[in-house]
Amino acid sequence: MSPATQDGRTGVDTGLGDRFKPSNVASGREDVPPLHDILEQTEAHVATRDFSIFYRDNEAVKKITMEIPMRLVTAIIGPSGCGKSTLLRAINRMNDLIPGCHTTGEMRFDGQDIYDKKIDVAILRRRVGMVFQKPNPFPKSIYDNVAYGPRLHGITRHSRLDEIVQRSLVQAALWEEVKDRLDTNGLGLSGGQQQRLCLARALAVDPEILLMDEPTSALDPRATTRIEDLIGELRGSYTIIIVTHNMQQAARVSDLTAFLYEGVLVEYGPTKQLFTKPREKQTEDYITGRFG
Amino acid sequence: MGMKARNLLDRLFSGVGVLAIVVMGLALVLILAPIFSRGAGAYIFKATVEHRRMLLERFERGNAEALAAEAEAVREARAPVYAMLARYAAEDLAGLSGREKREARQRLEEVEDILQELFGPMPGAATPVLPRQQYGATRWDRAEVKLDRLLYVETWDYSDSGSMGQQVLKPRREEFAGTALEPLFGYVETHLEAMLRPEWTFYWGFLTDSSFDAHIFGGIWPELVGTIYLTLGAMVFAVPLGIVSAIYFAEYAQEGRLVSLLRTCVSTLAGVPSIVFGLFGLAFFINTMHVSRSKSVLAGSLTLGMLILPTVIRAAEEAIRAVPHSYKEAAVGLGAGRWRTVVTVILPAALPGILTGTVISMGRAAGETAPIIFTAAVSVGKVLSPWETLTQPTPALSWNIYNLCTEHEAVDEIRHVQFGMAATLVLAVLLLNLVAIIMRARISNKLKG
Amino acid sequence: MGTPRSSRQSLVMSARANLAAALSRWLGNGLLLAITSVAAIGVLFILFFIARDAVPFFQLRGFKEFFTSTHWYPSQEPVEFGALSIFVGSGLVTLGAALVAAPLGVAAALCLSDVLPFGVRQAVKPVIEMLAAIPSVAYGFFALVVFAPWLQRLGAITGTNALNVSIILGIMALPTVVSVSEDALQAVGRELREGSYALGATRAETLLRTIVPAASSGILAAVLLGIMRALGETMVVWMASGNAAQIPDPWFNFLEPVRTLTATIAGDMGEADHVTGSARYHVLFAMGLCLLLFCFACNLISEWVVSIQRRKLKGE
Ligand SMILES: Nc1ncnc2c1ncn2[C@@H]1O[C@H](COP(=O)(O)OP(=O)(O)OP(=O)(O)O)[C@@H](O)[C@H]1O
Ligand SMILES: [Mg+2]
Repeated sequence: MSPATQDGRTGVDTGLGDRFKPSNVASGREDVPPLHDILEQTEAHVATRDFSIFYRDNEAVKKITMEIPMRLVTAIIGPSGCGKSTLLRAINRMNDLIPGCHTTGEMRFDGQDIYDKKIDVAILRRRVGMVFQKPNPFPKSIYDNVAYGPRLHGITRHSRLDEIVQRSLVQAALWEEVKDRLDTNGLGLSGGQQQRLCLARALAVDPEILLMDEPTSALDPRATTRIEDLIGELRGSYTIIIVTHNMQQAARVSDLTAFLYEGVLVEYGPTKQLFTKPREKQTEDYITGRFG
Repeated sequence: MGMKARNLLDRLFSGVGVLAIVVMGLALVLILAPIFSRGAGAYIFKATVEHRRMLLERFERGNAEALAAEAEAVREARAPVYAMLARYAAEDLAGLSGREKREARQRLEEVEDILQELFGPMPGAATPVLPRQQYGATRWDRAEVKLDRLLYVETWDYSDSGSMGQQVLKPRREEFAGTALEPLFGYVETHLEAMLRPEWTFYWGFLTDSSFDAHIFGGIWPELVGTIYLTLGAMVFAVPLGIVSAIYFAEYAQEGRLVSLLRTCVSTLAGVPSIVFGLFGLAFFINTMHVSRSKSVLAGSLTLGMLILPTVIRAAEEAIRAVPHSYKEAAVGLGAGRWRTVVTVILPAALPGILTGTVISMGRAAGETAPIIFTAAVSVGKVLSPWETLTQPTPALSWNIYNLCTEHEAVDEIRHVQFGMAATLVLAVLLLNLVAIIMRARISNKLKG
Repeated sequence: MGTPRSSRQSLVMSARANLAAALSRWLGNGLLLAITSVAAIGVLFILFFIARDAVPFFQLRGFKEFFTSTHWYPSQEPVEFGALSIFVGSGLVTLGAALVAAPLGVAAALCLSDVLPFGVRQAVKPVIEMLAAIPSVAYGFFALVVFAPWLQRLGAITGTNALNVSIILGIMALPTVVSVSEDALQAVGRELREGSYALGATRAETLLRTIVPAASSGILAAVLLGIMRALGETMVVWMASGNAAQIPDPWFNFLEPVRTLTATIAGDMGEADHVTGSARYHVLFAMGLCLLLFCFACNLISEWVVSIQRRKLKGE
């Protein structure tokens, strides 16, 4: 697979967008192609091989080999402590912040091994955005929150910043609610709004991948629905990888699902299939709520 | 042990603890109450006409016409006193001779001295050189003390050799019984108010006037400015250095030998006695580095800066560590490097905490005396201009409190100045701490949401 | 939905950019470390410069006289530099301060951490902070101008004596003792307390049999830090100790005036400064060195003691 062949991507021209609309998956249509077909028809955006992550001596993620396709929504599920966050955070090297955390094997993004010495982590993180479990806006104004990333990457012209801020907030479906108070503190918003603000902040640097670590676990049901709708809208434009504890959520929003158990990738396949006909006994036990 | 006895012991134990805290609170009150109540006397007191005259002549403040009218009234009230003195000299003193005359003249001079302290120079006398002899009692409380001295002769009775001498007060009137001066004492006692015209006054100038004649008159402006210079100077050195060090300790340092050694150094620095800082300032900044030829505000500020450095580092590090990890993650997740994260997210969020620590160490720097004895402080001096601070020493509140209550020639005369200075310094320091406490409360409220 | 993207930035840095990034990271780290070292190495600087000016004294006069003689005549010919009585004076007021601060401070800390309700505790905190914030010269002023006359009225021959200074220094050391030992008591944790209460122990028994032993090293550290503060204090002792270089008779007679190391340094430097290079000048640095070494020792011991407690609480 060659890296980054297409530039101007839009929501529908992947050819897969309609067929794998999450609603289709959930609606129980039977014509779900198997995983290798999907991967054949779209490029792998992130690919790992024998990828392990250690906290000092403790191997939290064990020899995972998987390919995550471009512009689809991939969910990672698994019981608490199985290494979901660890794996997710490895994709934009957030684990670098944790002393003693190191990796073996390889993780490719756009064909490039991101743990290579020559990688510019700043650019990697710009291209791989992240939304965290708890909404974490900076204690700055809404505008400054969204403009933080673009400024970081050298954009200083006001008109350009205004444009980016507006576009990102529109994309995060927050614009209508905050357009009159862009200069108020981001911490003054409600939890759901804060999370959408964080999403806008991540979108403002124009990433290709969005990593979401349980983005709705701190939100109420209505705010959760909004975020899920947003994921549906962003799908097709971004590669979205979402960690969730909520099986219905995974089923609702994702095209593909990976089930992790004690650091091992137990099963990985189209969501519909994984939730209806899991191949592995462990997967079945987990999704039917027998443990975890 | 029975349950009763155990409960009793328990009560007793709690009682001891509470007692300890009560003692602590009591100590605070016992220390602050006299300092503040008597310190207030430097600002609010019954000022006499002499005070107003001093203000007008020295600081050009006050109403000249009103004062002239007052002076006229006072002169009238005082006239009988001087008349009596003149009559005594002319009638009684002239009639004496030899030893008797010498003794009588001595007694008279004593009276004249006290009257001069009360009312200023005698009419017609040449203006004395020393300012303290140009004005009478400017404060009513001092005037009352002097009146006592005028009315009573103080002698000591050592007849009982077993114990210390006993103070005996004898009316001075008796010394002049039957002379023209005898009525003077009664007259002064009853007419003192008319002769000095005391009025309750708020003397804000105590804060903003320079002093003259060794603090007997005027305020504490040069000392105040000196303290401000020294404190700000110390902050200029300590705060940037302290914040950078705190950033290093909190964000960059990988825990290891070197870092733990550095940490030990910082905590040891916090335990160095303040007088040793003074010695070091003298030996290093002045005698080795020659930052100035001798004592200077610069040398003192550097010394004080070192003294408060550990406090600043500790407070700033704590504030930085208190910044939620999620802010840092968010910034890093957007591609910010470490330094960018620190500057754009962590420092702004930690700023209130850092300021709190800074304000507390400011109070510390303002109050320290020992480090500036050899490096910056002089007893008397004028207000320095900012560039003079590089080379000139300065008076400072802390040093002058010491100096005025131990080395001054007329310690009792200027008690109010000492208390006023102490109260001003303590109040300033406590206010700084109050600001810090309020700031901290607001931060913790904000973190709670 | 979705926007056309400008050309993708390559993830791989050019060799030059890589080098530049590594270099700037390395330089930045180095610079920060250097600045921090300046701050930290200050203490070694102090040690060095005090020692540098202290050594000539011992070269000139040796050790024996300084540490064993009580004849302190630095300005009269023939000069004598026996500082024993000054060491005793420092020790005496420090002991007195510890006797005041340790029991009061530990009792107050126990009360604050385990007896008083939260609201009262919040009200007591500012009292401690204010006691800590009052400048030492104000304490000294109080001791000399207010407290000494009180003592005299109570029958002391002179109000400026070791007792006066001990009490005031004790009060000054209180905040340190209280806050450090309260921290130590808090660090013991709920479980131990609840375990003891569950066995039917009263509060006093819980505290004295369980909590205080567990926090003992922290409390010891607190007292050491308080002692350090008292020993290093200058203004109070200079103003209110009487400054008589003599060993009280008997040695624990707190009603006699004494003289301490700090006060001697503060008081004599004014005259000794003119004779830089003489024994008279250097003897003050020798005293400073003694103070410094003692405080270092206290500091290291208290840190060591605290680290022992931390390890003990973690479970060896
Ligand atoms: N900073 C860390 N240092 C050491 N070990 C860690 C750290 N973070 C996580 N771990 C360990 O790694 C393993 C995986 O943790 P991770 O946070 O990835 O789990 P998770 O699947 O995200 O769990 P959850 O659903 O609770 O978020 C766990 O056993 C955890 O103890
Ligand atoms: Mg997780």
